[in-house]
Amino acid sequence: MKSLREHIQRDFSKNVIIALSVLLIALLIFPKFSSYTMLNLLTRIFVISVFAMSYDILRGYMGFINLGHAVYFGGGAYVAGILYNKLGTTIPVFILSIAVVVLYSVICALVMGKLSFKKGTSVFAAAMLTLALAEVVRNIAESWRDVTNGTDGLIFKVPSILSNRIFFYYFSLIFLIVMFIILRKFILSPTGRVIIAIRENEQRAEFLGFRIENYKLIAILVSGVSAGLAGLVFGTFNRFANTELLSITYSTNALLYTLIGGTGTLYGGIVGSIVVNVFQNMLLNLRSIHPIFERWLIFLGILYIAVILFMPKGIVGTLRHFIENRKVKSDNEKSSKTEKAPGE
Amino acid sequence: MMGEVLIKTENLGISFGAHKAVSNMNLELEEKVFTTILGPNGAGKTTLFNLISGLLKPTEGKIYFKGTDITCLSPVERVKMGMGRSFQLTNVFPNLTVYENVRLAVQSKENIGYRIFVDHRNYTSINQKADELLEKVLLSDKKSFIASKLSHTEQRKLELGMVLALEPEALLLDEPTAGMAIEEVPTMIEILAKIKKTGTTVILIEHKMDMVKALSDKLIIIVNGMKLIEGEPEAVSKHPEVLKAYLGGGVIDGINT
Repeated sequence: MKSLREHIQRDFSKNVIIALSVLLIALLIFPKFSSYTMLNLLTRIFVISVFAMSYDILRGYMGFINLGHAVYFGGGAYVAGILYNKLGTTIPVFILSIAVVVLYSVICALVMGKLSFKKGTSVFAAAMLTLALAEVVRNIAESWRDVTNGTDGLIFKVPSILSNRIFFYYFSLIFLIVMFIILRKFILSPTGRVIIAIRENEQRAEFLGFRIENYKLIAILVSGVSAGLAGLVFGTFNRFANTELLSITYSTNALLYTLIGGTGTLYGGIVGSIVVNVFQNMLLNLRSIHPIFERWLIFLGILYIAVILFMPKGIVGTLRHFIENRKVKSDNEKSSKTEKAPGE
Repeated sequence: MMGEVLIKTENLGISFGAHKAVSNMNLELEEKVFTTILGPNGAGKTTLFNLISGLLKPTEGKIYFKGTDITCLSPVERVKMGMGRSFQLTNVFPNLTVYENVRLAVQSKENIGYRIFVDHRNYTSINQKADELLEKVLLSDKKSFIASKLSHTEQRKLELGMVLALEPEALLLDEPTAGMAIEEVPTMIEILAKIKKTGTTVILIEHKMDMVKALSDKLIIIVNGMKLIEGEPEAVSKHPEVLKAYLGGGVIDGINT
């Protein structure tokens, strides 16, 4: 068994390790100097990042557009709220809610996967199916008023330690780091590799002897459970769940985070979540300056269009491309120099 | 030279509407025999392969592999039984490295199951095999290239390497030299000769006879979805009906060289 250090060194260059350590330290001491508003913004970003990464497993790695991804996210928030309201606001209930969310997400993923990964279903038909399934769940949440409080949304209390903003900040940061490691491990696993192969060429993967449906099902299970847990943490953070969390708005939000950040990288989801949330926050603050910023969604839309037009690979994808190009260039320069050397 | 029958088809046929692409196909493909299926364009060679490998379901007849009826089995099940195929149009994972393409194929063969928390780079035996295969198909120096950046010929070799990784008992190759520049063909023939030596049963589709005459133990000529004739290469290539079919079909390339 290799040591942890060797593992880290294999995956990350020295510069990246230093940068990440600095970033981590900065994030750890951040609450000492920050306002609650900034703290909440960062907490939100951490949780949304997990949701975005879970989406990237399907879209970026497997090449599947899921328009019903909010089912897991919203479901996670509702499960937390319902359990707190019915069973009380204690830590054991929180732990129980984790188990229930996992179970709920597994069931949703199995139904969604079995229906939309049927052989011969086109990408569009499958995407429409996921959308329809999500609408079914949203409608149930809307009409089951006794439990979900319908369109008014569900307000609930959470265990006192979880309502401490500074504690929750650290909790979400750890949640993000743990989920990043788990999802990265998944992508680097043999199963994760096959999921990438399916994106690349499904027919070839099949004729290499991989049972495509099973691999797709595993991917949606991993992705769904991650999104469900993100929803649980998000709900606990907001102490509120409404049907919007289950709607296509949230599914397409996840799509847009990965679009802006860059797909198939996992980091992309985090970057996208940072950019969108910070931008959104800035626009909301500008409302006091000029009333046009009341219509902040217009500006967000312009941002999306600009990124898709000028950076179709997203921020991370474009940066990567840029760095690789520079590397190739400097390599070429080096090799041309060494070629010249004997003649000099 | 005749071994056990590995693949057998009984009255195999498929129709697309009124068009019978393959009909009444009775084949017996023996073990360790290098069989080449020849025929003019549109004769139904690839359709026959699609039927045998499970990409298409036949409308009539049966297919047996190693004595088992596989007519209703999925492509994956046929691969697991020991059937590997390449495609006429290059079929690789375009945005993955050459190495990863082959490694995935080895991973499938090794049947390690659905592991989700072990790093794929930790399987040393798989990595080793992938390296060996790249050597076999003469692509070791292109290991870290992205597959789509390879030349057409190299991509064909890569696909062959992937199919070889499955260590198939029956290797179905659909025109491995299609689209290759003429001077690149000999290296492909060389690789095919090497595969033949290892004792793998190769079934090859070609439409240029001169390329494979020396390599093949048996030729099967298909015209209009039906078997015209089969037998030893020398005898078949001189058969008057074959000459007629080829000339009549307008395909004269290579038949009389």
